[in-house]
Amino acid sequence: MSYFILMIIIFIAGYICIALEHPLKINKSATALLLAAIMWAVYSLMGPGFSHEVLIAHLGDTAEIIFFLMGAMTIVEIIDQHDGFRIITDRIETKSKRKLLWIISILTFFMSAVLDNLTTAIVMCALLRKLIDDKHDRWFFCGMIILAANSGGAWSPIGDVTTIMLWIKGNVTAGNIILETLIPSLVALIVPLVAITYIIKGKVTRPQTNQDSSNKVLVSQKQSRIIFFLGVGALLFVPVFKTITHLPPYIGVIFGLGLIWTVTELMHKSNKEAYAKLNVSTIISRIDIPSILFFLGILMAVACLQTAGHLDLLSKSLDKIGDVYIINIIIGVLSSVIDNVPLVAAAMGMYPIADVGHFAVDGAFWEFLAYCAGTGGSLLIIGSAAGVAVMGMEKIDFIWYLKKISIWALIGYLSGAGVFVLMSKFILHT
Amino acid sequence: MVFYQVLMLVIFILGYVLIALEHPIKINKTATAILLAVVLWTVFALMAPLSNVFSTVGDIATSNALHESLIAHLGDTAEIIFFLLGAMTIVETVDAHDGFSIITDRITTKSKRKLLWVIGFITFFMSSVLDNLTTAIVMCALLRRLIDNKHDRWFFAGIVIIAANAGGAWSPIGDVTTIMLWIKGNITTLGIMKETGLTSLVSLVVPLTAITFMLKGEIERPAEKIAENGAKASKKQAWLMLCMGVGFLLFTPVFKTITNLPPYLGILLGLGVIWVTTEILHAKNPAEYDRLSVLASLKRVDIPSVLFFLGILMAVSCLSTAGHLKMLATGLDKMGNFYITDIIIGLLSSVVDNVPLVAAAMGMYPIDPSITHLATDGAFWEFLAYCAGTGGSILIIGSAAGVAVMGMEKIDFIWYMKKITPWALLGYFAGAGVYILMSTLIFHT
Repeated sequence: MSYFILMIIIFIAGYICIALEHPLKINKSATALLLAAIMWAVYSLMGPGFSHEVLIAHLGDTAEIIFFLMGAMTIVEIIDQHDGFRIITDRIETKSKRKLLWIISILTFFMSAVLDNLTTAIVMCALLRKLIDDKHDRWFFCGMIILAANSGGAWSPIGDVTTIMLWIKGNVTAGNIILETLIPSLVALIVPLVAITYIIKGKVTRPQTNQDSSNKVLVSQKQSRIIFFLGVGALLFVPVFKTITHLPPYIGVIFGLGLIWTVTELMHKSNKEAYAKLNVSTIISRIDIPSILFFLGILMAVACLQTAGHLDLLSKSLDKIGDVYIINIIIGVLSSVIDNVPLVAAAMGMYPIADVGHFAVDGAFWEFLAYCAGTGGSLLIIGSAAGVAVMGMEKIDFIWYLKKISIWALIGYLSGAGVFVLMSKFILHT
Repeated sequence: MVFYQVLMLVIFILGYVLIALEHPIKINKTATAILLAVVLWTVFALMAPLSNVFSTVGDIATSNALHESLIAHLGDTAEIIFFLLGAMTIVETVDAHDGFSIITDRITTKSKRKLLWVIGFITFFMSSVLDNLTTAIVMCALLRRLIDNKHDRWFFAGIVIIAANAGGAWSPIGDVTTIMLWIKGNITTLGIMKETGLTSLVSLVVPLTAITFMLKGEIERPAEKIAENGAKASKKQAWLMLCMGVGFLLFTPVFKTITNLPPYLGILLGLGVIWVTTEILHAKNPAEYDRLSVLASLKRVDIPSVLFFLGILMAVSCLSTAGHLKMLATGLDKMGNFYITDIIIGLLSSVVDNVPLVAAAMGMYPIDPSITHLATDGAFWEFLAYCAGTGGSILIIGSAAGVAVMGMEKIDFIWYMKKITPWALLGYFAGAGVYILMSTLIFHT
């Protein structure tokens, strides 16, 4: 049993070092990589042994997310370098923080119900760069994007990895999950929004455009439109591609990337200066590789806990609580520390789909699980894929998020949960 | 062959031609490689009779089987990619600290001929202990410090590729394919070293000798680059980073042996430790931190070549899933003469990744003690290790070492084909000839 406890201690120690990145001055990606390597080494040396195939499958799962992230970030960066987002940002004229907050949040919420949370967060974050100059203002808005993206993903069957899992395995049906969790998800966003509206005031300053003007000479209006529509089209095409071919989403994303890459190569062929600045090989070096390595480390570390049986143990002890609502609320809070995919997978493995009651198809347990695992991830910045991506793009600091955003995320999370429990007890599952 | 298989083959060849013609048609090879992978998998997913391929019943079961096979392939690919990323970052970090200057300062010769032999032999023996990829990356970083002229450096980088692949072929731990053959018991440590050691050396020495007659003159050392903000690592830091970097690269096979974990985890452990060290080392000086931290090294790592790897390996894995490689192995079986079979496998391994090729060959022929050349340490297996290992040098994208060097030095496919491929072929056939002579006259009479 000793390795079992040792692994927990290492995980917690690593997590603390990640959270204290700035005071300690040790980059969190370095810690995450060490965490993964040390945990697997401990498990391999002291544990009961496992086959190499298990590790390959975990790495394959992780790589799917990583290459999706790399592809989507590169596409967004290509659009950005071609001034493509100007098409949207030119239309948003308001400078009032309050108005902007509502526009951005609601836009994110519905976008992430159709697209996945990760893509939505990356795109919205790129937009914000064009809209808000002040770093801390922008960070605050980014925090709201994380909140909105995660709650927008929770109520739609295709909005988030965990809802997709529940939907594909038949635990929930498309119509029902929308019916039961749309309102709680919306509440989880609206409650913090209303509260913040009373606090926030003033106007945002738009960033100076002199940095962009150098590219503006190189890119015609027509070119930036082509790249914008191609890029957004490619991202929207990903779920379609998945449905037609049954291939995983990252293949759709790199398909889009390959196409846009080819288009830009042809577009800037004749103009040497434009090619030097705007070819994808140059743009790709702008994406944040440390946050990709961070993802690799943290997901492989959690995968190790999963292989060693920690997550099974966790779900078994949660089972003793008895009340399905409380179990789910705890799972949601945990999903801000551990990746929500293995958590939901563990819960799905624990409880088979029953004929009647909470565990039947569309039962309260599954619907609430989708809500909790989805929105609970906003509580910490590294609790969701959207959060990690935004953190990488904006270099938001763990502690800053904890101080400024976590509280609003918690309020939203609990009020949405309250609404769900009320609705479920008095209206839907009476 | 069924229609979809023909179509996939045509697409693969077309994609390959576009990759080779990257510079004339001006479309980046990475874009082509990832499109190639996507299009192949799409054709396979839409047109192949998946329930036959995966022998499953029902739509959901079939799409699950497809996804599982993809995840396993992606996992294999990701192991190589993260290994490459980690090793390249470690080497970049050592280089940023002027760690390699400590070695290159000791190489005083400027004669091209002498340098050729020095580099060739160091690479050859280093790659029989370390893997080819790491060796090639380290040697390439050394070359940057030794040779200023781009085309001279490219030429030496080509020699590094040939030497790294040849050096990997004769040692049981030198290359992925020899490791595979060794672990599955097709060859034994002593058997492979005895029979292919000389052969591999011949495949390096023959081109080196030939080149010696053509090469003359001296190289120019690059002027020492001084960073804009004047940040420079101290002598002590350079030593520290060199020892840590090389130490962790050497530690990777040890880590693998102790823990049974794949090599990329060992590399990532090393990267993590070095990262933490540089964070502490440069915490007080922002100018140093900007230039010397691992964050700065990561910016210099060539991401397009990482994605190129993703594309090309996933494309080949699609052919392997769709049964093309098995068909190929069956076709080769009809040749009858196993020496010729192996020589062709070696030539093919410069186009298709050698790991699935060797795996297909291993799947085709069981170890059979009653047939001399298929018994443990039989001539077929030994020669397969040699051919699959050294054949990859014939094209620049034929081996992992080649792809890594290409990414670091931006060597162009066609340039390599004109300047290096003839020497690689010469070495390949010279070594193969020596093997066949030795095998028929001495070892397996």
